Amino acid sequence: MKTKLQKIREEFLLKLSLAKDRDYLRELELKYLSRKGELSEIMRGIKDLNGELKKEAGELANNIKAEISAKFEETRRTLEAHSGKNKAVDVSLPGEKITSGHLNPITLVQNELEDLFISLGFMILDGPELESDYYNFTALNIPPTHPARDMQDTFYIDYKNKDGQYDLLMRTQTSPMQIRAMQKYGAPLKALIPGRCFRNEATDARHEHTFYQVEGLLVDKNINFANLKSFLEIVGQRLFGANTKLRMRPKFFPFVEPGNNGEYTCFLCQGKGCRVCKNTGWLEIVGAGLIHPEVLRAGGIDPEIYSGLAFGFGLNRLAMLKYNINDVRLFNSGDLKFLEQF
Amino acid sequence: MYTSLNWLKDFVKIPAKIKPSILAEELTNHTVEVESLINSAEQFNKVVVGKVLEVTKHPNADRLRLTVVDVKKTKLNIVCGAPNVAPGQLVAVALIGAVLPNGLEIKPAEIRGEKSEGMICAEDELGLGKNHEGILVLKEGAKIGEPFAKYLKAEDVVLEIDNKSLSNRPDLLNHYGLARETAAILNLPLKPYEKFFHKNWEFLGAKESKLEIKVEDTELCPRYQAVKVENIKVEESPAWLKERLISINQRPINNIVDLTNYVMFDCGQPMHAFDGDKVKKIVVRRAAENEMMETLDEKERVLSSADLIISDGRKAIALAGVMGGHDSEITADTTSLLLEAANFAAASVRRTSQKLGLRTEASVRFEKSLDPNLTSGALFRFLTLLKEICPKLKIASALIDINNVNPEKITIDLDLGWLANKIGQEISRSEAINILKRLGFELLSDDSNLLRVLVPSWRATKDISSKEDLAEEILRLYGYNNIASRLPVLALSLPEVNEERKLERKIKNILAWKYSLNEAYNYSFVGEEQLKKLNIDFFNYLKLANPLSDLQSMLRQSLASGLLGNVKINQSKSDDFGFFEIGSVFFNAPGNFPKDAGREETLPYQEKHLGLVLAGEGDLFGRLKGLINNLLRTLTNYEAETEFSILENPVGWADDRVSAKITIFGQDIGLVALVGPEVNTKLNLKKKTALAELNFKLLANLVLGLARFRFRETSKYPPVMRDLAFVVEEKILYNDLKEEIANFNPLIKSVELFDVYAGDKLADNRKSLAFHIVYLSEERTLTAAEVDQIQEKLVARLAEKFEAQLRNF
Repeated sequence: MKTKLQKIREEFLLKLSLAKDRDYLRELELKYLSRKGELSEIMRGIKDLNGELKKEAGELANNIKAEISAKFEETRRTLEAHSGKNKAVDVSLPGEKITSGHLNPITLVQNELEDLFISLGFMILDGPELESDYYNFTALNIPPTHPARDMQDTFYIDYKNKDGQYDLLMRTQTSPMQIRAMQKYGAPLKALIPGRCFRNEATDARHEHTFYQVEGLLVDKNINFANLKSFLEIVGQRLFGANTKLRMRPKFFPFVEPGNNGEYTCFLCQGKGCRVCKNTGWLEIVGAGLIHPEVLRAGGIDPEIYSGLAFGFGLNRLAMLKYNINDVRLFNSGDLKFLEQF
Repeated sequence: MYTSLNWLKDFVKIPAKIKPSILAEELTNHTVEVESLINSAEQFNKVVVGKVLEVTKHPNADRLRLTVVDVKKTKLNIVCGAPNVAPGQLVAVALIGAVLPNGLEIKPAEIRGEKSEGMICAEDELGLGKNHEGILVLKEGAKIGEPFAKYLKAEDVVLEIDNKSLSNRPDLLNHYGLARETAAILNLPLKPYEKFFHKNWEFLGAKESKLEIKVEDTELCPRYQAVKVENIKVEESPAWLKERLISINQRPINNIVDLTNYVMFDCGQPMHAFDGDKVKKIVVRRAAENEMMETLDEKERVLSSADLIISDGRKAIALAGVMGGHDSEITADTTSLLLEAANFAAASVRRTSQKLGLRTEASVRFEKSLDPNLTSGALFRFLTLLKEICPKLKIASALIDINNVNPEKITIDLDLGWLANKIGQEISRSEAINILKRLGFELLSDDSNLLRVLVPSWRATKDISSKEDLAEEILRLYGYNNIASRLPVLALSLPEVNEERKLERKIKNILAWKYSLNEAYNYSFVGEEQLKKLNIDFFNYLKLANPLSDLQSMLRQSLASGLLGNVKINQSKSDDFGFFEIGSVFFNAPGNFPKDAGREETLPYQEKHLGLVLAGEGDLFGRLKGLINNLLRTLTNYEAETEFSILENPVGWADDRVSAKITIFGQDIGLVALVGPEVNTKLNLKKKTALAELNFKLLANLVLGLARFRFRETSKYPPVMRDLAFVVEEKILYNDLKEEIANFNPLIKSVELFDVYAGDKLADNRKSLAFHIVYLSEERTLTAAEVDQIQEKLVARLAEKFEAQLRNF
């Protein structure tokens, strides 16, 4: 049996070396390699052998089959490569059409921010989009007479409490989660809260009643204004590049004291002035401040022991700046022509 | 708010080197945001002084005249309709290209066949008054050809200040307040307001009062000052007064109304002048329920006991702090005034103004809590200016002052060590004291590092009450940008990982990048009309009290409506596409989040759902089920087998023959269905659409609750695979057949459907299901005979249970 196999091998290799065209090759393939070919016939015979003999013959047959098959393929490729009859292949044809899906640009920017703050040791928290008046306003040091509570700014749920007041609403900011986070985790605390917010205003290219914010807060001992400043600096540098500078101005937010906005050097013109930054060289991106003692108290944290910083970004604005999007309504439009670009 | 630089300069001398742009920058850096600078001369761009040379009749129109006007550079032919135009007059000429303050753009024109190369302006066209009876005739000496702005001496710069940045600073809603802040920032002297009025009026000697004034609610009206004056004449305001008001975008009306406005913009105190002949008596009280009054804007208002009003003893004559009444309004015939300068409680003014939708300059100021000390200065200032305008003015009553203001003053102890800690940088004692003094704070004691500070009355109403407030005052004047930044040094800690959020991101990535779906963000709000089209019952939906429109009046309980909307707007642009959304839905049932601190009540239940939609051709239902199965297997380390079974309560939008419940690990987590033909038509969907909605919260619990994934060693023994096709009645479910096979014998390791057939080769109502069945033992090599034996029994069992017949090919 073994000799038979060896003989077939020799014979095959010799004939293969003489191959000149494809017809000859096809004959060779039929004679030796096909299911009814000589090699297969011998291999069927191996079944009937016994013990050690069967094992050895089987192994040899397999090896020989692998060897001559490989050599056969090699010869065929060489032959075909040199064959003038072969049709030209248009390698410039496109490949198979594979479609892709796309994430919303808000998701992309949000992921980027989440990753940045995770790397700084922050927790990422979620909170309810339908909030109570208490968490959205009162606990944040926004008393009942503050303009931020105006009916035209807030969507209220059509449900009155015992005192005949609407006290459920669609959150106007992610800030209520400051209080919920403090109540749940206490101090020290590092948390980032991205989420959907709502303002009752008519939509146009620059206004959207449904938008996204990211709220960050850090509560620990001795957190001070210099910390807040450097914190906003590194955030800007990560988002807009290492040379990004920060400028701070006073701004009133009831839940911080002192309060400020943060402007970064325009990343499009590097501060030289352009259309996007209205020729000022600066982009207003962030609202921030040291957490108001009343807010810490509402969160169950003693402001005499702990202090904190808080800041908030508008994700829509960040995405609009980053991708040069000129209409805020596109984010919620579900328009494929928009989404397909991301 | 518009602020005139000239007006500011009344109170603080700003050095020439501080250009308006620098002033704006300083104010923005330290106090409030200046949004823009407006050069007042610009509004009269291309308006020049001209001299009328000739006036002739228009050949084709009786009322029009043809004029020739000399504007120095050239002579213009202008058609003019004013009856008072005459040769020799000096007039304001708007040249071609001018855009007038009233918005009118001047273009070359032909009026009834005659060319007109400009316009001779009337007062109202220039925004200088209401007069449109004729053209404005300028004073002698006006230089021909000179810009009209120069003639007007309109050389002011107006600072537009962001109103939001003023929301906590009622003291800055006027020129004196901003001058005070400017002086503090630039360290300049501020002229005391007392220098701008006379205090010595005859009423100070008057013993008898003709005025009967009563304040019934001293809580809502802590202070009420009033005086009566006679011998006044209501007429047009003098030029200086009109110019000032125009400069800050206020329209002049008459001298009395203008003056009350002027004083408000001057020092911040809203004032009201009643007609003294019509109002003899004042009672400040709460309105009766359903009491009516007609306000100045000639609208009937229905009041309630929450509203504070001024009455004349019988009826309401003003809404306190909001708006005056029509009946007691100043008219051309008014000769005496009853002047009011009062302080009203912020909350009540705000409530009334909000309820009536009536926001006025007065209410905007009162609702921010005004300094009650403002009233007397305002009244004196008013009288001083009124005397200039109406020299015959006579004081006709004593000065009434009903003062119930809490005399307690706010003092704050400021520890400079604490301050340095708060800022993160040492601010020297002298610097801190200097800043506080510049801002009007008084130092009660300063003999140590503990400063006792008295808050000035104009900052004491609401604005400043704690040491943190003082820290901000010092910090903002010192300059936020003068603080060196320093990162906090914190103890390392391991943050809690938000596994749910991580899973959400993973799902989004898989859906977008593996299944080519697009991420939609749809509104949380839905409308009746849409839900009706989807056959969804919305009686239990949460509703908005103040929706923007009927289309967005309720809170969604499903993502379906939004996703079908996504299909609709894209159906004409793409052939085959899909969307997904992970978003919150809201239910009218108690949820998990507490509503208030320390209370039992909770917010309504809200949870996240995952919605998927495919639109196009072919077996979309099958494709979507495959996608879901693959997703769920991927998320569960290929442990989950997704089961699709008959949905007992099909949703309204679904084709109820093609609706399935989705189950993994024995738990129902959602549904998948083809959109029904009727709904498709109602929504005007042109494509076949399959939609699935999964409860993300349940899914997350299942996925995150899985035991830790471990690799399993594969069997050393070869599997035996058998392909079998069973013919069964159509109504027999794949699920049941498959379960039966899978659980038939422990050696059956997997059962996979590879073909479904129903058609010519089979009897009616029958289908064939073909399976790969894999037999495998972990302990030995299975023999063919062994497998045959099991298979025989299996076939018998399926025949018995499902009347399944083995199909012969």
